[in-house]
Amino acid sequence: MLKYIIRRLLGAIPVLLGLSIVVFSVVHLIPGDPIRSLLGQHATPELVVEIRARMGLDRPLYEQYFIYLGQLLSGDLGKSVVNNRTVIDELTSRFPATIELTVGALLLSIGLGVPLGRLAARHVQQWSDGVITVLSLLGISIPIFVLGYTLQYIFAAQMHLLPASGRLDPRLDVHFQTNFVFVDSILALNGEALFDAFKHLILPAFALGTIPFAIITRITRAAVLDVSNEDYVRTARAKGLTDSRVNSRHIMRNAWLPVTTVIGLQVGGLLAGAVITETVFSWPGVGSYIVNAIQDHDYLVVQSTILLFALIFLVVNLIVDIGYAFLNPRIRYS
Amino acid sequence: MVRLRIGVLIASAAIVFAACGGATSSSAAPPASQAPTTSAEASVQPSAAEASPKDGGRMVVGLPGDMVLADPTLVSDSNSSSIELNVVEGLLGVKAGTLGDIEPVLATDLPTKSADGLTYTFKLRTGVKFHDGTDFNADAVVYNYERQKNAPKELRDAYNYYFGAVFGWAENSNLVSVKAVDPTTVEFKLKTPQSNFIIAQAPLPQFGIQSPTALKAGDADNPDPSKSKYAQGQGTGMVGTGPFKFKEWVPSDHTTIAKNPDYWNKDRVPHLDEVIFRPFADQSAELNALQAGDIDLAQTILPSDVDTLKTDPKYQVVDRGESCNVGHLAMNHAHKPFDNLHIRTAIAYALNKQSYLDTFYAGLAEAADNWMPPASQYYKKLNLPTYNLDKAKAEVAASGLSGDALTLELHYPSDTARPYMPDPKGLAEAIASDLEAAGFKVTFKTAGWRTGYTADEALGKYPMWLLGWTCDWPGPDNFLQTAFFHFDGNKPNPEFAYGPPALKADFDKGATAPDDATAQAAWNDAQDILAKDLPTVPLVHSKPPAAAKADVKGFLGAGNLNEPLYPVWLDR
Repeated sequence: MLKYIIRRLLGAIPVLLGLSIVVFSVVHLIPGDPIRSLLGQHATPELVVEIRARMGLDRPLYEQYFIYLGQLLSGDLGKSVVNNRTVIDELTSRFPATIELTVGALLLSIGLGVPLGRLAARHVQQWSDGVITVLSLLGISIPIFVLGYTLQYIFAAQMHLLPASGRLDPRLDVHFQTNFVFVDSILALNGEALFDAFKHLILPAFALGTIPFAIITRITRAAVLDVSNEDYVRTARAKGLTDSRVNSRHIMRNAWLPVTTVIGLQVGGLLAGAVITETVFSWPGVGSYIVNAIQDHDYLVVQSTILLFALIFLVVNLIVDIGYAFLNPRIRYS
Repeated sequence: MVRLRIGVLIASAAIVFAACGGATSSSAAPPASQAPTTSAEASVQPSAAEASPKDGGRMVVGLPGDMVLADPTLVSDSNSSSIELNVVEGLLGVKAGTLGDIEPVLATDLPTKSADGLTYTFKLRTGVKFHDGTDFNADAVVYNYERQKNAPKELRDAYNYYFGAVFGWAENSNLVSVKAVDPTTVEFKLKTPQSNFIIAQAPLPQFGIQSPTALKAGDADNPDPSKSKYAQGQGTGMVGTGPFKFKEWVPSDHTTIAKNPDYWNKDRVPHLDEVIFRPFADQSAELNALQAGDIDLAQTILPSDVDTLKTDPKYQVVDRGESCNVGHLAMNHAHKPFDNLHIRTAIAYALNKQSYLDTFYAGLAEAADNWMPPASQYYKKLNLPTYNLDKAKAEVAASGLSGDALTLELHYPSDTARPYMPDPKGLAEAIASDLEAAGFKVTFKTAGWRTGYTADEALGKYPMWLLGWTCDWPGPDNFLQTAFFHFDGNKPNPEFAYGPPALKADFDKGATAPDDATAQAAWNDAQDILAKDLPTVPLVHSKPPAAAKADVKGFLGAGNLNEPLYPVWLDR
């Protein structure tokens, strides 16, 4: 198993290297440059040339790429040309916010999607199956920003049940140590802050989690139906095992495999969705950071952040593959 | 109504309602007819209904974006300035709630000026301490000005903008020297007289005096601001003398400033314990946050949301009084047919400005008759052409152009709203409709505000486009020259490709006038030249609305968003 993990991690290196070339090229193909974003109306032809030279953007592209690669290999992700903060500093403060949001959305989508998928499969072709199917169709078809604003307007602006923006009421004065508000609230033994952080997470997690929820529901339903028709399930029932034992030991254990794969793949979708969700809910995470950076043509920020997203995607899928071995003892990696 | 602003969302980072081109929204200077207020002790009195301010409480303010750096000298955006002007003070300032009521702050009075206009002398307050406990004195003033004048080359233009714009750097600076005559007297020597010496510095926190000890300890002059603890606000930053102290900055989340109980001006010790600023990339989200109670005050809202809030007693809409901006239909004379005066005049007659005010500005604007707002120094009414379709058609006929020559390419920004154009696409469509009625054909082009729009128009790539300016200070130089028709040497700038030698002569004369009468004459003449040539068409002067919960009291809005928060209190 260890060899397998090492091999997979080594295999990620050429993938990331290739991706760095693709991202570098795409970012530099977008018309415009960071100097124009930086100078805006102060731009003069002379100033543009001068600052471009100052930042090394007048060098040939391949030279800029190798300089960037050299910095990356030495652990330097660069800095923003707009606010001059290093990418490492920004990611350190923002990444925990995105992790909390995506984990919240994932837990919500699994917590609702798996039981509802099972329920739909058990009552296939009945009204409850129909209701769940409609729910999952709605979940996958409503754009995140439409849902986000609607939830914000109803539950926050009108009903005042939940906050509309941010991760924590700044009036609560929690000192950020880890940048995970849940962890920091617990470290500060501040129950009010913990509850407030939870309230802040609900709407964005719900908006972000609806698409994975819909997919997980559909896949769970299909997987459970599929497994339910297997011979070993019929045999188990014939042996006189209780319904719950058949479900947990024989159906769900096997149905988890495709569901797990889908959950792994959803992480990529969640990171993409976080870009929009974070904007709607003023959530100070990596998603809103990358939107700003793309708009400003902040090359290094975009390149480094996308590479980080790719790395996360690779690691999560590795974890999912390893998870298979635990779910299905017949799978062995070597 | 659920507000779904797709364009704004997709372009979320387009920070709505920031000052034009990264310029800070600041202000200053009185019209020539008004003498600046000289009383340092004048404080803002609450109205009768707000007669008993309550001390304490934390207020959360929503801004359109995050602070950029914690050193005011290195920022030129309105978000940073809105925060930092509460913490760092200059020798002069502008009274809360006014655009140009200049008052001495760290100086005891307005400076004395030598007869040749080359030397300004300030007397300083005594007993004032910086937030780190060190003394404010003449040496601190000298240190602050010298540090900006000799800023590392890497910091000039892109970061440290205002010092360069007002004085220029190093050996090219018009500021020859700043000398401590004694601990309470500072003398500024200029190369040539500079008529905006007071009006340009007073409103800008970029000319604030910070603790030299803190600046040195925080490595504030590091050519790479990412390595400066001070600029990054890591445990230090903006150590000034103001009514609030910097407490913390959690980038992209919030910035907190706390009451300075030892503030030297006892009339202006803040009522609030703390003010927390939160960035919102999207104005619909900011409005929802106000209605949800996440924030107490939204610095800017869309004019289209004013009616919703006005009808709800839980909120108040702040009218900012006099405008300090201009929105205009810009034209580049290097692109045909805008070199033709008849065409420009036809366009001016074709535009129904009143209909734009009614449709897009919720009544919080007035039709423009000048390139600067009425509150500006030396403003004069120019009687520019007003809506008259017959005259527009006659001017088109007089131009001698027809067919394809009358096709105009109109650019507008796709992803932003500005105080002077809250709905650029809608405004562009309304303008096109008016122009087509006069016989033109209009094609549209659009680009992202930060992804090239502002730079491309500045570099002269657009023939006709929507733009505007929020004042840095309400002086004629800041509008007519800085914002629009400045010269590169003797050449007109490429943005408008317009500028007769007589205009340059007036600009130079106005900028270097040693006395008020000479300055006024020069700027009057410059305005007359513009009225005659009609290089572009000014459209509106708007007052961007703010909104707050009903229990927020004492907030004094100003058209340039230069709004100190010491008078504010919470009626809870």
